[in-house]
Amino acid sequence: MDLKKYEKLAALNLSEEEEKRISKDLTDIINYFEILKEVNTDNVEPLVYTKGAKLFMRKDEKQKSLNKESLKKNRELFNGNFYKVKKIIGD
Amino acid sequence: MEYKPTIGLEIHVQLATKTKIFCGCSTEFGAEPNTNVCPVCLGLPGALPVLNEKVVEYGTKLGLALNMHINKTSTFYRKNYFYPDLPKGYQITQYSIPIASEGFLEVKTSKSKKKIRILRGHIEEDSGKSIHTGDITESEYSYIDFNRSGVPLMEIVTYPDIETAEEAYEFLVLLRKTVRYLGVSSGDMEKGALRCDVNISVSKGETLGTKVEIKNLNSFRSVRRALEFEINRQIETLKKGGKIVQETRHLDERTGETKPMRTKEELNDYRYFPEPDLPPLILTDEYIEKIKETIPELPNEKEERFVKEYGISEDYAHEITASIEVAEYFEEAAKLTGKPKEVSNYLMVNIMKFINENGKNIKEITFGAKEFKELLDLIDSKTISKNIAKSVLEESLSSGKTPSQIVEEKGLKQITDTGEIEKVIDEVIKENPKPVSQYLNGKKQVMGFLIGQIMKKTKGKANPKIASKILIEKLNALK
Amino acid sequence: MDILNKTVEEVASIARSGEVSVKEIAEQTINAIKQKDSKIKAFVHIDFDAVIKRSEELDAKKDKSGVLFGVPVAIKDNMNMKDTETTAGSKILSGYISPYDATVVEKLKNAGALIVGKTNMDEFAMGSSTENSAFFNTHNPVKPEYVPGGSSGGSAAAVKANEAIASLGSDTGGSIREPAAFCGVTGLKPTYGRVSRYGLIAFASSLDQIGPFGKTVKDTAIMLNAIAGFDPRDETSVQTEKEDFTELLGKDIKGKKIGVIKEVRDFELQEEVKNSFNDTVKALQNAGAIIEEVSIPHLKYALPVYYIIAPAEASANLARFDGVRYGLKVEGKDLRETYEKTRTEGFGTEVKRRILIGTFTLSAGYYDAYYLKASKVRRLISNDFEKAFSKVDALILPTTSTTAFKLGSITNPLQMYMNDIFTIPISLAGLPAISIPSGKDKKGLPIGMQLVGKWLAEKELLQIAYAVEQELGGKNGI
Repeated sequence: MDLKKYEKLAALNLSEEEEKRISKDLTDIINYFEILKEVNTDNVEPLVYTKGAKLFMRKDEKQKSLNKESLKKNRELFNGNFYKVKKIIGD
Repeated sequence: MEYKPTIGLEIHVQLATKTKIFCGCSTEFGAEPNTNVCPVCLGLPGALPVLNEKVVEYGTKLGLALNMHINKTSTFYRKNYFYPDLPKGYQITQYSIPIASEGFLEVKTSKSKKKIRILRGHIEEDSGKSIHTGDITESEYSYIDFNRSGVPLMEIVTYPDIETAEEAYEFLVLLRKTVRYLGVSSGDMEKGALRCDVNISVSKGETLGTKVEIKNLNSFRSVRRALEFEINRQIETLKKGGKIVQETRHLDERTGETKPMRTKEELNDYRYFPEPDLPPLILTDEYIEKIKETIPELPNEKEERFVKEYGISEDYAHEITASIEVAEYFEEAAKLTGKPKEVSNYLMVNIMKFINENGKNIKEITFGAKEFKELLDLIDSKTISKNIAKSVLEESLSSGKTPSQIVEEKGLKQITDTGEIEKVIDEVIKENPKPVSQYLNGKKQVMGFLIGQIMKKTKGKANPKIASKILIEKLNALK
Repeated sequence: MDILNKTVEEVASIARSGEVSVKEIAEQTINAIKQKDSKIKAFVHIDFDAVIKRSEELDAKKDKSGVLFGVPVAIKDNMNMKDTETTAGSKILSGYISPYDATVVEKLKNAGALIVGKTNMDEFAMGSSTENSAFFNTHNPVKPEYVPGGSSGGSAAAVKANEAIASLGSDTGGSIREPAAFCGVTGLKPTYGRVSRYGLIAFASSLDQIGPFGKTVKDTAIMLNAIAGFDPRDETSVQTEKEDFTELLGKDIKGKKIGVIKEVRDFELQEEVKNSFNDTVKALQNAGAIIEEVSIPHLKYALPVYYIIAPAEASANLARFDGVRYGLKVEGKDLRETYEKTRTEGFGTEVKRRILIGTFTLSAGYYDAYYLKASKVRRLISNDFEKAFSKVDALILPTTSTTAFKLGSITNPLQMYMNDIFTIPISLAGLPAISIPSGKDKKGLPIGMQLVGKWLAEKELLQIAYAVEQELGGKNGI
């Protein structure tokens, strides 16, 4: 398993030590999954939504949005307006 | 053998709902940043999406109008990637089964009519907006506004059936007309309500060339320019023995050139999987049928009918049906006056000019079907000439007065009294001996000059037919 | 009067009558927490002033009819509560002040509950011992050197230690039932969709379900009355009529058919657990139930299925923690580095492990072999249960194969995952299940038995559990 690739996809960057530890666990866990190969799943529909799951739709009606104060409790807003992040494109 | 371009479009249509796709926040454009946000569209932990029924209605409507098949069961998926304007780290979209699939639009170009097939139409949520100060590559920070996060979109993906920049342009124009006819989107490209990415390759023969994507085209003109440039660039590159690089480019609006986007090489693996927070969307035949009934006559149908039913030119029919309001205006006036050709003429020449120059909407002007009838009746009864009619129309448009009011107030009634006209003609003959003798010597062209003199003296009110008949009689009598 | 050793029903009735004010109840609770929690460490966020203030508000209320009126209830820290810190046991959410109430919190408030604080848990509910909390370990009130189970370890421990009368936990693969068994309390995982997930910080959306802990079966039934019901903010909540889950308690279970799963015998059980299972089966028979053997042929595949599906969903659910809008942010030289630093420092090892598993099993080229395959086997497991339930009214099996283990004694993740071997299959099928105390092992550690009900048949499940509880000797006292 190319751990680095999945770290990138998951926006993680593990230390070498952590990589070593997790790498072994992951290999064991993924090997454990092999047991599923025994099961014949031809013509079996995957189960994603358990019984009774029925989509309902809301009316196109406005509901109260959050006030800025509650946003500011969790992050300072630039100019009182914007979330500020380091530039998106790296060099 | 010639190089042939192959073009496909991916168009995001913003659906004109009052609230977002999965929460009750307003979709209003231009609100104070980060005020139309809630736990759902801000991606707070624990929040869950709930589907807006209007999005489904509009999506179904647009799908049907684009001749698509509506899937009775469609599913939502998560598309996973990290981007600061994507608050959940995934976008809820449709993947394996979209709400609509397999349709087409028939576009007209200067050369031909052509069916552009549509692969799919799926509903999804928009991301927030990143604002960059200065140049995208130079600024140190980006600023994010999540007001747009969760605004409903329908993405329309075409087959690569398009072969010219003009076809792409016409497809977009027709799509915009269609969404406006339906009322499902404002279709305003400059407000981002319509956004277009294009895929383009060129090749000789059957094997397709290397595909280049051009992203973030934000006007109809940009789409056309970008494609014209890119087609040329690819052909020239290949002719010189060069190679096309598979990449994403953008249009430099200043130079009209496409340039590679300087993106960091990112892994592209969206890890789509079914959205467990949203069970499948199930639509009944009755529902689809009900939506079908609400679809109005669409631009192409209306255009054809106008040509057939009213005998107006194809060009005019095309232009008039560009906007449903103009089309409705025309039809009402054409019906009331019984003179569709005249209506189309005045509409396309004088009224549209007034509207464009004054930045008005056809709905805002007071000159309606009734006024149209009045104006055309005045011409019919020879009360005014066609020339005068134009200025009456212009005056009516700007002042809001009715045509007969204007004719009355300004004394524009045409002179049909032959006695009065004869008197003026006698004066003109007397005052212009040189042109008169030229005429008598066979130089018939001076007629126009002499009529002009008559019109000047009568301030244009002399009936031109009567005036010219009497003038010829009087001149001939001088021979 | 010592309030804290009473049941939900008793406390509510005392508070309602005014015999003891809610403020006095609050003070007793705070004292108990102050006295015991430095050792147990069940609570992770608690604001005593706010608790007193809430008690005064309750005392001032005219309407005291709420089913939980004045009852001190603790909630797991993965449920949003307005204006309080909500961290899901994770460093990445430290300092996050929620601007909204989860539906269950709203419902508790409406029922007149005195919410006392947020309980410790495995980070993002990933774990079986509460040792994965980013903050500290919680100790089993029965024997402090043992784990309380997890991930809702704090909620189970708080009830066992009489630091709250009842509590809420969440169960994805056993996170209510396993700590209930380890601590010797009753824990109910309702049918998936019975209780709204709105405001519950998601671990695995297709499996997560909130449920109550109590001293008795009746306590959990009353708690369920307060929190259950369709919620238009949760598309996966089931549209049901209002029910009284206490309605069948005490009705006899003569003739009820209870299934014993054949395949459970394939797993090794701790001797005392096996004996306790047999005792419980006998208790059921004594109460007039008929025991039948049923088969869940795909039982042994439940664990790998779960450890594919839950991490896959989690890998997406946890992507929102990017440092942009809330919680921890560790700035790097550019945005990419900021993401990576924030997430690498903010998440604990087990969470990172599961995010990476989930990212892998969903990735191009592996989706079909892992995620899709697992979803298909999940269908087969669900079908197995459906078939079994065409013959019986409920199932009985141990909640766990062993009693609680010592803190720090299990370091291998796969070995840790095995703790949930009997709870996970039921979660995959979305069925309701309850763990009730059934005995103790030689060391005095509690044993829990699990009863599984039909889809949406909590009423009947509680009826059967109540009968067993009575046979085994009543509240909490085994």
